Amino acid sequence: MRVLIYFLIAGLIVSLGLLGARLQRDLDTLYQVDTNGMIWTVFQIEAELATLRSTLAEQAATAVPDSSLVRLRTDIVLSRISLLRSGRSRSFWEEISEAEDLLGALERYAQDAARVIDHPGALDQDDITALSALTGATRPQARRLAVLGVATGATASEARRAIFVQQLERTGFVAFVLVAGLTVVLLYLDRLLLHARRRDADLRVSSQKLASTVAASLDGIIVTDRAWRIVDYNEAAQRIFGWSKDEVVGRRLNETVLPSLGRGEESSQGFRLPQTGTSRMEATAARKSGVTFPVELNVTTSTKGDGTRIAYFRDISEQKISERHLIDARNQAERTDRAKSQFLAVMSHEMRTPLNGILGVLDLLKTTRLDVRQRRFVDVAAASGEILLEHVNEAIDITRIETGAISLTPQGFALPALVARVTDVLRPLASEKGLTLVAEISPDMDRSFFADSGRISQILTNLLGNAIKFTDAGQIHVDVSGIHGPERSQVTFRVSDTGPGITPERLDDIFEDYVVLARSEGRQSRGDGLGLAISRRVARLMGGDLKAESTLGEGSVFTLSVPLERMGEAPLAPPPSPAKEQRPKSVLIVEDNQINRSVLREMLVGFGHSVYEAENGREGVAAAGERRFDLIVMDFRMPVMDGIAATRELRGTAGPNRGTYILGLTAYGSDEYRALAEDAGMDGFCTKPLRLSVLEDTLSRLEHFPAPRPAWAGSVDQTYRSGLQEETLSGLERTLGQDELRSTLAQFLKEFEEALSRWRRPGEDRQELLDDLHRLRGASVLFGLNDLAELVDMVSAGVDDGTTWYLEDALSALEAELVSTSATFADEIGSANLGPVS
Amino acid sequence: MTRLAVAIFGLVLAFWPTASLAADAGTLTIAPQDQQAREYTLEDLDSMPQETIRTKTVWTEGVVEFSGVVLAHLLADAGIKTGTVKLSALNDYSVEFPVDEAGDDYPIVATRINGEAMPVREKGPFWVIYPYDQSDDFRTETIYIRSIWQLNRIVAIE
Repeated sequence: MRVLIYFLIAGLIVSLGLLGARLQRDLDTLYQVDTNGMIWTVFQIEAELATLRSTLAEQAATAVPDSSLVRLRTDIVLSRISLLRSGRSRSFWEEISEAEDLLGALERYAQDAARVIDHPGALDQDDITALSALTGATRPQARRLAVLGVATGATASEARRAIFVQQLERTGFVAFVLVAGLTVVLLYLDRLLLHARRRDADLRVSSQKLASTVAASLDGIIVTDRAWRIVDYNEAAQRIFGWSKDEVVGRRLNETVLPSLGRGEESSQGFRLPQTGTSRMEATAARKSGVTFPVELNVTTSTKGDGTRIAYFRDISEQKISERHLIDARNQAERTDRAKSQFLAVMSHEMRTPLNGILGVLDLLKTTRLDVRQRRFVDVAAASGEILLEHVNEAIDITRIETGAISLTPQGFALPALVARVTDVLRPLASEKGLTLVAEISPDMDRSFFADSGRISQILTNLLGNAIKFTDAGQIHVDVSGIHGPERSQVTFRVSDTGPGITPERLDDIFEDYVVLARSEGRQSRGDGLGLAISRRVARLMGGDLKAESTLGEGSVFTLSVPLERMGEAPLAPPPSPAKEQRPKSVLIVEDNQINRSVLREMLVGFGHSVYEAENGREGVAAAGERRFDLIVMDFRMPVMDGIAATRELRGTAGPNRGTYILGLTAYGSDEYRALAEDAGMDGFCTKPLRLSVLEDTLSRLEHFPAPRPAWAGSVDQTYRSGLQEETLSGLERTLGQDELRSTLAQFLKEFEEALSRWRRPGEDRQELLDDLHRLRGASVLFGLNDLAELVDMVSAGVDDGTTWYLEDALSALEAELVSTSATFADEIGSANLGPVS
Repeated sequence: MTRLAVAIFGLVLAFWPTASLAADAGTLTIAPQDQQAREYTLEDLDSMPQETIRTKTVWTEGVVEFSGVVLAHLLADAGIKTGTVKLSALNDYSVEFPVDEAGDDYPIVATRINGEAMPVREKGPFWVIYPYDQSDDFRTETIYIRSIWQLNRIVAIE
């Protein structure tokens, strides 16, 4: 539009200029003589002719005519006539065809007149008369030519004027159009101006609004150019940074408020600031005083592309301080929490160790002869101990649930046996309150499942414990039923009591941590609030749930339903009664606590096993080096060397107990230790206190444990043994010297033969013989003759056992082994001088 | 404009004085107001500094060379420095001329055309000539009117 207008105006001006120039030229032509001059010349000729005629008339009257005057006048006329055919006149007259005859006549006159006067001497009257006649005849011709010239000149002038007028009109038209166009343009420009003014005013209003917004903003706003040079700076920024606007405008951002960007950066690319976008970042800014502080920073780049950047700053130092406080508080809380967990773990350990003793002794007490009253006391004490143990375990569970360390350890179990065990434990407590405890298991649930039976027992114990605790009279029912799915069965344990019941509002609360319900009479009705909370969580962990229903005054029903994976169709055979079928075994107890050790020893001895003791891992490893055991009970935490390290050592080195069943014992009832135990090479794992029943289980399992077969069955690995001997003997040889070794070995073999031979003699004191054998056994180990040592153990076991056939077999095997050993060493002993047996 | 010029020429024609011819056609009479009039012959003018103008004219064919005395010098020689003079021809045609407008180089009072003296029959012997080719300014009505030929008398009139 604009361009068009410019073109239009330019075109009009150019055409106006061209027309003006043409007008000027036309005007010039008007000024220049052409036609007028010609006409004037013709009129002059006529006038001169008239003058000549009058002069001739005068001279005709005189006697002597004035020749020079006549000649002058004639010459003047002739000079005029000659003009007609020269210069511009010629072209003028040539265009008028009628003029040709007249011009010819005038020229003929000129020639004739010249002939009359151009003779030497004065002119006479004849000359005058001739000239008069010529001139008189020519005058009308001159006049006609003049009239013709005037007419032609007028026509030409008319035409020129018409052209000129046309030019004037054209120019005027163009000028008019130009003026009109300019007027239109002027109006348009005026409208544009008005529009621009209005927009300018709007813009000013909005920019004032913006300016006041910027000024009122709590965030510091800094406007910079492309090179981060500060252009504008609001009041909040002054408050935040301490610089006044005048001090910073024109300076770079990194020279003033953001020194962290680095100084001396010439290019804007040097700044690690977002070029565009609206993401917030944190940066370190500086106040005028040089103090640095954290800011939240948001940089936007103008969309106009001129590189203007707007940075919004928010002083977040207060926020950071609060954050720091919060973090400190959180850390403090976490430390406290860790300390609490630590305390709980340590306390539970400390409590479990004495509990181990109490429960163990009570178990033992039950095996002695007691009257009815005593038995009742023991049962109550044992049941209370169980409850206490349960509480300790719950406390541990809490810490483990809090740390998320709880996990499930599924194993095969028979459902009726599990229920029986739990009810057996709690029945005494129920009886004490005069309650009956009844367990009913639906017949189709009499089978084995694969699940964490320990956890199910825990939940059942908790539910039954609660039921006993809150019921004053009546009975407690445990009903086990379920639905068999394709692979799993949904098993439901319903524990119902005839207690006071729980109000519906509180039914959900009882599953919260540490909730204790108060009885109406004010007595606390619940000893701990952990049990149900833990139970529900465990149940859900297993994929099931724990729910409660209650009717006030009638009782409560707690329902545990869990999906359990079924095992083979046949129910598990009940574990064989160990006491009857077990042969006596040798057991090494590695435990630092003296009470626990003696309790365990009592239990084992009660079963008829032989027991060896060690106070720590180091002693245990040493004892295990001396002879082979059927079972090693290994505590985890011991001074000098702990159970894990000891187990590793036993498993890692060649020794008689490399393959022996090791049962780990820990006061920490955590599953984490199970993995540790398995990794170290333990075969079994249980938490303290080690109960009689668990011990029985373990011992019965030993029957199926692939222990090394006795030596007399001829299965001892010959290579392994000789290697061992070789190694031990060479060690001894280095220590004692070859001769000394030989004599000692010879003496040992001799003594052994003698000791054995005494066994065959009647009347010898068996105990004394056994002591001798034990002494020799030690020497056997020293020489690396472990098979001999093992056979000695067999013999001593045979003595303890009291079965004659066993002792006989063992003795025979020992004798045979001794013979073969002697034969092996015969070459080496050779000529050794064997002294008499002392 | 043209019409006006025609009217003027008409008037001039109508009141043309018929027989008041000067004595000698071969001389140029210059009459200052307060001094004796002087008569210049062709020889007088030839003895003065000569100026030459080569130009075309509307009265002649092609470029011709005029030579003669610069009018201003001639007037000065006769004692006329300012004012207005009346230039008159042999046939009593006359035109007024402001002395101020006489330049140092033009017009000249030509006495020769292409080196030849000019008889009366050839518009001589004295002809006022401007350098017409030099500029449009010398091709105007006024200049043509002042280009008087058969110049015979110059009279100071004020």
